[in-house]
Amino acid sequence: MRVSELPIVGDLLESGAEDRVFDSLLLVGPLLILVIAVAGRSALTTGLAAAYVMFFVAYVLYRGVRH
Amino acid sequence: MNEAVETIGRDLGRMFQALAGLLFVSTLIPLVWGEYYAIPALVVSGLIPFAIGYALSSRFRKATRPGKLHGMIIAALGWFCVAIFGSLPFVLIAWTVEFAPPILGEPSQTSTLAAFTNPLNALFESMSGFTGTGLTMTDNEEVLPRTLQWWRSFIEWVGGVGVIVLTTAILARPGSGSLTLYESEARSERIHPSIVSTVQTIWWIFILFTFVSILLLWVVGMPIWGAINHGMTGLATGGFSITDNSIATYDSAAIDFALLPIMLLGSIAFPVHYLILQGDLRNLYADLQTRWVFIYMGLGTALLTALVYVGDTYDSLFTAFRYGSFQFVSAATCAGFQTAVDATNVALGRWPTQAQLTVSFGMLIGGAAGSTVGGIKLIRALTLVKGIRFRISDVFYPETAVRRLRINGRRLNEQEMRQEFEEAAIITALWLIFLGIGTFVLLLLLPQGEYTLENVLFEVASAQGNVGLSAGITGPESLPTLGKIMFLFNMWIGRLEIIPVLVLLRAGFRRGGLY
Repeated sequence: MRVSELPIVGDLLESGAEDRVFDSLLLVGPLLILVIAVAGRSALTTGLAAAYVMFFVAYVLYRGVRH
Repeated sequence: MNEAVETIGRDLGRMFQALAGLLFVSTLIPLVWGEYYAIPALVVSGLIPFAIGYALSSRFRKATRPGKLHGMIIAALGWFCVAIFGSLPFVLIAWTVEFAPPILGEPSQTSTLAAFTNPLNALFESMSGFTGTGLTMTDNEEVLPRTLQWWRSFIEWVGGVGVIVLTTAILARPGSGSLTLYESEARSERIHPSIVSTVQTIWWIFILFTFVSILLLWVVGMPIWGAINHGMTGLATGGFSITDNSIATYDSAAIDFALLPIMLLGSIAFPVHYLILQGDLRNLYADLQTRWVFIYMGLGTALLTALVYVGDTYDSLFTAFRYGSFQFVSAATCAGFQTAVDATNVALGRWPTQAQLTVSFGMLIGGAAGSTVGGIKLIRALTLVKGIRFRISDVFYPETAVRRLRINGRRLNEQEMRQEFEEAAIITALWLIFLGIGTFVLLLLLPQGEYTLENVLFEVASAQGNVGLSAGITGPESLPTLGKIMFLFNMWIGRLEIIPVLVLLRAGFRRGGLY
């Protein structure tokens, strides 16, 4: 079974900016929030959250430059 | 049965079923936080709209597709009914706690929650949430059950998506600003050709931005529950908070500055976000509204900072900039988060009159059409300015001259220009008329001498602009019953940009035989 065949996930991948990196960020986001809620604030979780935000911004800029 | 009633009934039914779904999903929150007493209230609150919605959509399932008139009535009536059903969790949870049945763990009552035993307060809170206003009937959000903290944030978040869908996919018409979004230099078509795929994509963008907002707020030091709630309400430019003093509770410059880009994201048109995510960054300056979002916020921040610094409200330029930038962006994006409160510094209601009026002006204009903001919208303000300039300069051209007005890269002919200009002028005029009526009525209702004219103007502009900043008038005790009812109307017409509500009222009066 492919990821795109999963309920909800499939619909999500069909919508949006049609870019697999953004789709991945969308799928990873809630998992990361869940991990933070369970594990609390630590160097690792802070690093992961910061990396998520910075990667999002960097990728938007990268797409812009490449465009 | 009338064909129009069937179509409207069917679509309202679907809307109520969707609302029921949101309520059923929200039962996860009391499960996670151990507030089991709230579960029956949420289930009952969901069953009522579900049953009514199911009956309507089944009864009228063969109704015809909605047209423009239906769309407006469905939007206006739907928003009001959803606010009514959305108030049920407030009322039922408040009464559950009031009775405190032993089987549900005997939760303790607070004066904040007890305010919702009055259905009008609950309806006010729900309308404020679904319209993304953020004015509240609570006096201390911190003591609310987590379930209601979530429900307040959730309805603002859903209302935020709702208004984007409304303006970009359903009510787009010449002069509404939405059509200008599509027919500009940068693009020639909608996000997607069909409404369904457009709505899906708006959800996609909104959800992605929500995760980014939540994680950004958490990284700069906000606790995770606060980050989830404020990330949702910040992006939706709703402004409900889970703390007593809004964002001032955290008293953190990092959190204040992190919220600025989140509120700005919510105030940029979502079709533009779609293009930016596809790599077309030139829309940040090529798109008229987006360019003016930055210019407007920049100029407003500079002016407000200068006013509160020169007026000795704050003693350092950095502090003046911190509070000036936050409050102007919060007002102009219609988020309504507050950092200027008495507990940490100088409350907005005690800022110099010029500063309060600057914030009011920010609320009046708002951000871009096609975003989550309220107010008149930048595109209409710009259309008015350009139209006035065009009309005045017209005198200097010969009568035979063929002139065209350029807006956002579009070259409008005489008829198109008149249509755009008329609609912008009508909505602005209506907005100001209702602002005037609201101010007049509130002045009559409030105790003489307790509030200044600028306080009252500020509060009404905040309600009608769906902003949520308060000069201290709104509250379960401080706002008289008639004032609450008037604010319900102000919030409702403000969210729907007035016309759909007037269309609904006209249709109602005509069918009711009142004229």
